[in-house]
Amino acid sequence: MSPLILSRIQFGDTAAFHILWPVMSIGIALYMVVMESMWLYTKEESYYRQLRFWTKIFVLTFAIGTASGLPLSLEFGTNWSQFAQAAGDFMGNILGFETTIAFALESAFLAILIFGWKRVHPLMHLFSTFMVFIGASISAFWIMVANSWMQVPEGITVQNGLIVVTNYSQAIFNPDSVVSFMHMMGACVESSLFLIGGIAAWQLLTTEAGPVRDFFRQTLVYCLAIALFVAPLQVVIGDMSGLVVAQYQPEKLAALELQWDTNAPGEGAAWDVVAWPNSTNNGNAFAVSIPNGLSLLTTHSMEGTVQGLNDFQASDRPSEMEAVITFYGFRLMMVIGFLLVALALWSIVLWWKGGLSSERIARHRAWLRCWVASIPLGFIATEAGWMVREIGRQPWTVYHLMRTADSVSIGLTSYEVGTTTLVVTAAYLVFAGVFIYLSYRIVRSGPDLVSPLP
Amino acid sequence: MTPTLLAQIWFAIICLEAALYVVLDGGNLGIGMLSLVPQPEHERETIMRAFGPMWDANETWLLIAAATTYGAFPMVYSIALNALYIPAFVFGVGLVLRVASYEFYCSSGQRLWRFLFGVASLLAVVGQGFLLGGFISGISIANGHFAGGPLDWATPVTALFTLGIVFGYLVLGYTRLINFASYELSPNALLQLSSATVIAACALIAGALLLPHANYLYFDRWTVLPSAYILYVIAACIAIVCAAFAYNVLTKTHVRELYYLSMAIFALGFVGMIVGVYPYILPPNVTIFEAASSPATQVFMLWGIGPILPIVLVYNYYIRRIFRQDGPEY
Repeated sequence: MSPLILSRIQFGDTAAFHILWPVMSIGIALYMVVMESMWLYTKEESYYRQLRFWTKIFVLTFAIGTASGLPLSLEFGTNWSQFAQAAGDFMGNILGFETTIAFALESAFLAILIFGWKRVHPLMHLFSTFMVFIGASISAFWIMVANSWMQVPEGITVQNGLIVVTNYSQAIFNPDSVVSFMHMMGACVESSLFLIGGIAAWQLLTTEAGPVRDFFRQTLVYCLAIALFVAPLQVVIGDMSGLVVAQYQPEKLAALELQWDTNAPGEGAAWDVVAWPNSTNNGNAFAVSIPNGLSLLTTHSMEGTVQGLNDFQASDRPSEMEAVITFYGFRLMMVIGFLLVALALWSIVLWWKGGLSSERIARHRAWLRCWVASIPLGFIATEAGWMVREIGRQPWTVYHLMRTADSVSIGLTSYEVGTTTLVVTAAYLVFAGVFIYLSYRIVRSGPDLVSPLP
Repeated sequence: MTPTLLAQIWFAIICLEAALYVVLDGGNLGIGMLSLVPQPEHERETIMRAFGPMWDANETWLLIAAATTYGAFPMVYSIALNALYIPAFVFGVGLVLRVASYEFYCSSGQRLWRFLFGVASLLAVVGQGFLLGGFISGISIANGHFAGGPLDWATPVTALFTLGIVFGYLVLGYTRLINFASYELSPNALLQLSSATVIAACALIAGALLLPHANYLYFDRWTVLPSAYILYVIAACIAIVCAAFAYNVLTKTHVRELYYLSMAIFALGFVGMIVGVYPYILPPNVTIFEAASSPATQVFMLWGIGPILPIVLVYNYYIRRIFRQDGPEY
């Protein structure tokens, strides 16, 4: 394989692994902030126990997040040197902001959050927890700014082959950045809540009645209370995000819908539930469609025009393979989004009927199993969404300005890139395994319900 | 502000960040490597506890230095990492493994992770040595892009610098351990310390003497005024601090303060290196003015990032005060 393909595999591989951990860190940190605030506000001990227990898992996710993010920033230089140089005027600056403002903030306050219990005032501790969450969120904001600018590069001009920023507010607040940031934050919170809630549900299924089971019942109820708002909101933000794609990246939209021909005026474009490209790659071999569905989804009108892939040069749009991946990735993300909303609704009905009391909650075994099954769903949706976003952007790194093939470093050998990819992938698999093992131990040994309050 | 002044300001800021990193985290890296040396179990525990809350904040300076380099001098970031692919990878693996294994050790208490933490520290230091050596020996550039081969960095100068840095960080780490109130000085500690210092000094001096051979720029620097004078003065300062260091070791006085002396040696060496290359940032081809990003970007960064740096610094100090010397209780 060429260094280009290997570099793409490496970046995709490392980015896909890395994104899991910030998602957990941000989501769990929010849960911690809520618990600590409630504890200081109500003086109710149970909130403090929640906070201390989930902090243990948070620390692990934070460490793996930091560790696994490092190679990504190096890869800009090592594997994508031409991109790093051409787009450096903007990207370098924004990544600098990310590190300095956000990362420095969170890693510094983390020290107090973890080690500061007996050394600082409780309000200072709450402030530190809050700053860790804010730091991680600002970090996500700058990363989304960098990425969304690659999708919709605005506020710039090209001089001597270098992309130079002419207007920073246009470049930072490009049409994609805010909505994408919100969609990402939604993904962080939603995925983490179903992770935490799912773990709690698993414990409810397997532990005897007693204080430990009550602890996890509380966890599940708190998660549910937040998830009720987040899950539907995420579907709405996702729709807004789709509208940006439709307006600024018609090639990507056509690819992720496998829409080959532009619909004629007066006719709506159909939405394909399943489809597969034909052998000549200018239409679908088969498709199961909902009439007018695509027009309705992307233009919010029955007969809105949706451009097809055949309108673009084959070299200027995603390849057939890339289109198929984005097509199914998008559907996977959507299905999961609705499944999680459905589970939240089911839970609220049970809650309404009083089924979540400590005597009755463990009896709803099918419902609890659904929560357990939902543990990986948010993360799968996040990965699928990122694949749609990044693979759908091909063949560009910076949309309509710089091609992926022109972005790769010079003079790399397949041997170098292949070796580094294998080593990094192996290390990441080990990290994931160790994380699962250590969190399993943490959950299994249960919360500490007896140590004195600080 | 003129583009020239902006580039100089950013160069100064980045040098300061890198110097802070070397001085603050160098000791931690050294202690990490020391954990690999055979020793009683309780001393290893002291070593691991010594990191506690600070090292994360210390390592942040490295990330800040790297990220601001990319922002202010994109050409340096892209060309240097392209050319130094393998050193960057070794360094990266070291850092990644270091963060993860430390946390895994804290969570599980398993010795395997403590061992890997030591290995990771060693890898990170070796990677730094490779990067510095490759960077100082010079990168071949044509048409604004890297134009050399994957093993260009593997030179005698690089080998000597790497050796010097490994032992130099060991000295930093050892003196820092001695600096901790609870650390008991073993009888042959000072002997080990002196030998590590001698090895580090010899390797670094030999590397520096080979430099003009690797890269003609340095020959000018050592013979042409005014840089030659400044370099001689710095060399004299280093010699004086080294003498004080040696005196204290031999007479076994002020051993807890040796840490500050070794930090001073590192800081002076760092200044010497900057005087040796300025205004080149990819010696001997690219100056800071050629590598700079657009003035608009540098100004924007200055306003956005500039005020944050003193805050991070004050904050680092605050954390250090909260957690004083010996590391935290869990």
